[in-house]
Order: sequence, then C-alpha cells, then structure tokens
Amino acid sequence: MTEKLKFAHMADVHIGSWRDPKLKDLSTEAFSMAIGICIQKNVDFILIAGDLFNTALPGIDSLKSVVKEFKILSEKNIPVYVIPGSHDYSPSGKTMIDVLEEAGLLKNVFKGKIVDGKLQLRFTKDEKTGVKITGILGRRGTLEKLFYQDLDLAHLEKEHGKKIFMFHTSITELKPESKSTMDSTDVSYMPKGFDYYAGGHVHIVHQYSFKEHKNVVYPGPIFPANFEELEELGNGGFYIYTNGKLEREELNIKNVFKMNVDCEHKSPEEVYEAILEKFKGKELINTIVLIRASGKLRTGKVSDINFKEIMNKCYSQGAFYVMRNTVKVVSAEFEEIKIDDMNPEDLEESMIKEHLGQVKVSRFDSDKEFNISKELMHILSSEKHEGEKVYEYEDRVRKEVDKVLEL
Amino acid sequence: MVGANIKGQIISGKFGEIVARQKSDSEFELGEILVCENDSSKIFLQVYDLQYGSQVSQQNLELISGMNLEENTNFEFLDKNLRNYRIALLKNLLSIDKNNPKNVTLSKSLPEMFSNVRSVTNEDLSFLNKPKNPLFFGNLRSGSHELDVPIYLDGSAVLSHHILISGTTGKGKSVLMSDLLWDATSKDYAGLLVLDPHNEYYSGSGKIGLKDHPSKNVSYYSVKNDVPGMKSLKINIKVLRPQHFGCLDFSDAQEQAMNAYYRDYGIKWIESLLLERPVKVNFNDATINVLKRRIMYLLDIDIGDGQVYCNGIFEFNAGEATISGICDSLENAWTIILDTSSFSGQVELLVGSLIVNEMFNRYKNYKMHDELEGKPIISVVLEEAPRVLGKEVLEKGSNIFSTLAREGRKFKVGLIAITQLPSMIPRDILANMNTKIILGTEMVQERQAIIDSASQDLSSDSRNIASLDKGECIISSNFAKFAIPIKVPFFDDYARKELAISKDKGGVKNNNSNTKKEFMGLRE
Repeated sequence: MTEKLKFAHMADVHIGSWRDPKLKDLSTEAFSMAIGICIQKNVDFILIAGDLFNTALPGIDSLKSVVKEFKILSEKNIPVYVIPGSHDYSPSGKTMIDVLEEAGLLKNVFKGKIVDGKLQLRFTKDEKTGVKITGILGRRGTLEKLFYQDLDLAHLEKEHGKKIFMFHTSITELKPESKSTMDSTDVSYMPKGFDYYAGGHVHIVHQYSFKEHKNVVYPGPIFPANFEELEELGNGGFYIYTNGKLEREELNIKNVFKMNVDCEHKSPEEVYEAILEKFKGKELINTIVLIRASGKLRTGKVSDINFKEIMNKCYSQGAFYVMRNTVKVVSAEFEEIKIDDMNPEDLEESMIKEHLGQVKVSRFDSDKEFNISKELMHILSSEKHEGEKVYEYEDRVRKEVDKVLEL
Repeated sequence: MVGANIKGQIISGKFGEIVARQKSDSEFELGEILVCENDSSKIFLQVYDLQYGSQVSQQNLELISGMNLEENTNFEFLDKNLRNYRIALLKNLLSIDKNNPKNVTLSKSLPEMFSNVRSVTNEDLSFLNKPKNPLFFGNLRSGSHELDVPIYLDGSAVLSHHILISGTTGKGKSVLMSDLLWDATSKDYAGLLVLDPHNEYYSGSGKIGLKDHPSKNVSYYSVKNDVPGMKSLKINIKVLRPQHFGCLDFSDAQEQAMNAYYRDYGIKWIESLLLERPVKVNFNDATINVLKRRIMYLLDIDIGDGQVYCNGIFEFNAGEATISGICDSLENAWTIILDTSSFSGQVELLVGSLIVNEMFNRYKNYKMHDELEGKPIISVVLEEAPRVLGKEVLEKGSNIFSTLAREGRKFKVGLIAITQLPSMIPRDILANMNTKIILGTEMVQERQAIIDSASQDLSSDSRNIASLDKGECIISSNFAKFAIPIKVPFFDDYARKELAISKDKGGVKNNNSNTKKEFMGLRE
C-alpha cells in the first residue's frame, strides 16, 4: 500500500437489527461513534463489507441516522465504499444501498459485466489514493458462492496498482469451530495478489495472511447482533489500516457483565439466589447484563425462576439492559424426548402429545385438544400470500383461528 | 470331431492339480479360465502352471536338438502335433449346476478323464451379478485376454472390511486406486479420505482427474491454493492432542511430557510446551528440549520474542473447522483428497491420524447411540502402509490406523492400504484385510505374504502373480466366490467413458447444480 494510505474497514453494522428500542439505538450509536473515529483519524476512505442495514429496506428512523452520518462524511470528502450483504441485498434490486448510492453518499463496488459466462468485475478507483476497489456482495444462503465459481480471476489479477477486494462471505479456512457447519467459500476462489481483503458476514474479529492472499480481515460487527455475540465480543469494533499497519478500534459504548448460572439439581429458588449472589454489590450502571443459565432443575419449571424480580434488582442497581438465556435449562417436569429420524410434523405431534392436558379447557377432551393444537400451529405458521395485503393476511388468519376455536 | 472352441483335454492329475493337454492350435496362458462341461454342470478351472509334454524320451529330444543345432539337420517329426505338446496344470475354481444356474458352489469334484476344456465365455459368467452397492474393479481377465464382463463387489462390505492393494512399482496400483476412487465418488454409500503423497488423484497426470468428476462431491486440500475450488490446508493447533502423535516415534518420556502439558494447559498445551511454561510434574530438561525441538520441526513452528510463529499447515489463527469440515463431508459420502506431497512422512501421518481419530470417534459414538445405520462407510486410503502398519512400528505400540485395521469394520470405518511390501505388515493385520488386490509382484517374499493371508487358496498361484503384467491383478476377497483375475482399465479411458455416460444421462446433480445462476445485484 502507499505510504500515506489510511482507510477504515467495518462490516456488519446491522442498523435496525435489535427489536428492543434501547438496543436498537445502540447499533446506531456504535455506528455514529465509528464514523466519528474515522473523521477524527482522518481516514482516506471507509469500507463497509456488507450488511450496513439489517434489511434491504430499513425503517425511516434508522435510515435517517445513517444518512446523517454519511452526509457528514460526504462533507468531509471521505468516500464510503460498500458491498451489499446477505441482509441488505435484495434480488429485486430494491435496496436502500442503491438509493444512498444515487444520492452520492456511498459507492457500491460490486460492479461488472458477464463476459462469456464469466463474472468480470470492474474496479472502482478511489480518486484521492488511486486504490482500486472491487468485491462481491453477500446473499442469503451463501448463494454468492456461485458468483465466486464464475469469477474471472485472471482479469482481476492482471490489474496493476494497489487493490482491495471486498467480500461478504465465510471463508472455509477461517471459519471458527463454532460455525463449522456454516456454508462457506474457499479462499482459492478469491483473486490472488490483492493488497487487502476486506471481509464481512462472519461476526468474528480475525486477520490472517495466506500465501497468495495477504491481509484477509474480518473486523467483526460494529455492535453485537445477539446474545451470544454480546457474550463473546462484549462490544463491537472495526479496523483502521494505516501505512501498512492494522489497528483495531473498539467501540465500547456499554459495559457488559455476563454470568453463567449452573441450574443442575437446583430448585428455581436456589437458582434465583445464586443469580442474586453473582451480582451482589456489583456496579451495573451503563451495563448490559447477560444471564445464561443451564442444567436440569431439581424441581419446578424454568418459568418458576423469578427472573422478573432479578431484572428489577439489576435495573435498581443501574443496569442499562438485562437479558437472559435459558435455552439450556431443563425443567424437572419434562422428560427427554428421543427424536430419532422424525420429520418436523411428527416431532410437532410428539411435542403436542407430550403436553396435552396441561391447560384445562372444559369443553376440550384430549383428542380435540390435539387436533385443535395441530390446526392452530398450521394456521399460525401460514405465510402471507403473494399480493395479499398485511391487513388481509391478518384478517384471514384471524378468521381461520376463530373457526377452529369455534368462536 | 473336436469342437472348434476346445482348447485341450483333461488327462490326469488330482484335485487342485488337474493336468490338461493343450490342443495344438490353441494356447493356454497362465491365469486363463477354462470351462469343463458335462450334462449337469460346468466346472471352472484356472491355469496356474505350464510345461512341455512329449511322447519322445528326454534323451532323444536332447539328441534331436543337438542335430538341429550342430549339424543343421532339418529334423521333422512324423505327426509332430501328436508327439510334442504342452501341458497345463489347472486348479478348480467353481462349479455351476446347469439346471439351476444360480447354484454356484466351490468346486468339490474332478471332471471326468478326457473331458474337453474350452475358453470361458461371457455367457458362462452370467452368474456374476451386480451387488446392491456395486464397486467396480475392472473387467474379468482370462490369462491376458480381457473379457467384456465387469466385476463388481459389494462396495459397502469390501470397503468396511479393508482392502490391501499390493504390487511392485509400475504395475498399476495408482491407476487401480484412481478407478476405484472415481467409481466410489459416484456412489452415496461411502466417503473416502485419501492421503495422497504423490498428488496424483485430484488433477491426474496433467489429464483427467477427480477434479473432473461430474458429481462434484470431491474436496481437495492442499498447501497451495492456486486452483479455484481447492481448499488451503490449514489445521488449528488447538485441535491437536497428545494421542494424535501416537503414530509417530515418540519415546515414553516424551509422551508423558505431552500428556502432562495437555493435563495442565488443555488446548494451549503445545504453545505452553514451546514457551516452556511450568507443569506440575517434573521432567528432565533434555526430554523437554528434545520434545520441543521435535514438535517445532514437525509443526513447522518458530519461537521469537516470547511468541510462537507458524509457517506451515498448523496454525494458531486459522483452520479451526478444517477437521470437522472434512469429517462432515466424509459423512456426506464425499471423497476428500489431501495433497500431502510437500509434507514429510511424519506430518502426513499426523494429519491423517487427526482426521481418522475424529472420524472414528464420531462413528463409535453413532454406534453407541444406535445411529450408525444409514451412515456411509468411511474408507481411508493410505499409501506405503507399512509406515503405520509395519511390524517394527507396531512393536512400539498401536496407532489409529492399526486400531482401524483391527476393529474399524465394526464401526463402518475401513482402510485401503497400498504397499509394495506386504511382508512388512503383521500377519494378524493382513488377515483382517478381507479383500486383497494383488498386482504383479516379482519378489517371492512379498508374494508369499499375500498368498499366506489371502481369502482364497492361492498356494499354487505364485508363478501366476509373478507373471502379472501392468494392469493385471487378482482379487482375493471374502466377498468373492473365487480369486478373480481382473484387467484394470486405464484411468483416462475409464473416466472419459464414465463422463460420456454421465453426460448422456444429463450429469450427476450436486447440491448447487439446481440453482439457477443469475448475477443478481450486479451493476454495469
């Protein structure tokens, strides 16, 4: 890279990903902070390697805050180069990325044409630095793999000058063990000899140099997108590449306090006490509290653990947000079900039968309860028909439910 | 009047050593299959030795030769075809009941004296059915003559009960292996792991290779990544356990030290050893130093400024999902080829040991939970097998490969061991290899080792084995009725033919082939 080159590499911003408004604001806040750092550090340009938004058409509020940041960057003459990711890509082409590009706020570098069945990418040249940037977008289900298989590598490799390749895909050789079953693309499908490979999609913080592919970098998300990521990463961040050196910028917008609670052979009351004990006397101001519980309870059900009170106590100690994960807690009342080779329908039936009679309804015998449960599951899992308006869809579902429940 | 296709007549001998006189206008060949028919049955015989016969005494024969050579006498016999002839020694193979052609049994009786013997025909061999999970080995061979009779054995049985491929260099072991891999890759009953020290199976010798297989169910791992689609072989160091080094020659003290580090530091044991972090158990400095040096050399690691740097395939920062990814693919009946051509033998075995351990443990676990049924057979192709299955190696202790050889079949994990020196493999391991594919072998000791452990009686076939030409082999298997002579097809011809068939059928569909390729989202 040139001696004066300095750029920021971020990915997986996922603006609008959290449903809870408090957490939703954190993604935007983290993005804002990242842009602030980029301006302060006077970067030449910014790369966003996919999933700027959590959907192709984000909500107005989210959009407004992002546009504001891009506007500032534009005024400061800091170009933004992006590729759509698996979340903000749209097969129909109706994506907010296009709107922002039309407005001159960013540049989508996934550009090129098909020549003899091969994907011939075109470079986007950064005017200030002369760096040539190209890349491949991400698609749901790792369908971008097909693009890589038809990529004209020689065309990209023969281009002279400083080159950056942006990608939004999981690289087989760099997949973490926890994501081993994730579909991925082999690094050999990527063009060799680029100066920097700006990755996204896998929410890991990773940098690695292969023999033919130097500086392959995943910056991780700008802000963690779920409970596990909050546990693992704490906060988000991105990289700034300066004169050949890569430095990580952590975006510590909130403290994260995580606790693991072993429920094995405990009563719900004992679990409650154990959790209180863990944050007794802790300073929780401006802190996201993560409670992960696991193990089989000696008595009672998961719902018997008084999480409401636990949360109240956390909030009274100043916690910003409290989250719990009890997926791995097994209630004493439930027996393990052997699944064997059941298809989803058989499994559903088995689960319904397992829980028949738990809620007493005077006019339902167990057969009726079974049939009604199945029908309700079927109706409630039906999707909106093509061309059906939302209110029509809701109305249809409501009517079908009424019919089943004989209301 | 003797029939036109008659090749000779049985004149004497005993069971297993039947003597037949060759008809003058015919020619017997070693390994040739002959048929002797009567009203109720067909007996299949095979030539295992050839010699001369004459009505003239040996003394007179020598005299006649002397006259020809020394005095230029053009000596001619009266009725020479009657007086001088060739004799073949035949062994019994099979017997078929003509009234019930499905009734094929090992031959237990002698044909009648003066029975005619004739060449075997395709029709005679109609009892050779295609099994449920067919694995193609080649066409049946009678002597040097290849018949248009494809030979299939039950692949799931053969692969789980181990295969030994033996033969001298240049006799066609690799071609045979390429054929087997091509065929097995098309099938969904087996996943094959190939440790390929000559890097010959994926790309082929510049021509056709498994890269061209229409099913696309092939993954190729190499240290190079210069061809799109190949995977860069990176293995994360944290997946290494002391037991993986069991197939390498570490002393007891070194093994104990490795175990101590693993106990104290878990997945960081190698890093801790290399940085000489303390362990609870005391070891001699020399032991630690040698161990450290050996591991650094083996894993291609350097130490500097209190940090560990990786130069080879073993990494701290990549390859976390490599082993599990390979095992997942094997479970999906893929063929996985590891290019180990740039590795030392020890690194190759370490990598193989890692994968095989993981795969074997998975399958043992499936068996324990009654989930093994329905899983494909896993077969591990191992070149120069005595490196891990040799007597000297196993005297120092067992390793995952010998464990596989002894008990893998119970868990549907088998070996395909390739060697030119079967005599170096202990008898009990050889006996566990229930299918042996024997290519030409000149060395008596090696022939004997194979003959002694074969599934059929090959005691009279030593000369036959020695005379096997390139691509000619004998398959002796628990899953075959007799030791089958085969002609291995040239890989290029075979693969091209299969590709053409696949093309005619519209190609084998792989996971991605149904997806319509559209470059959506691309802007000019």
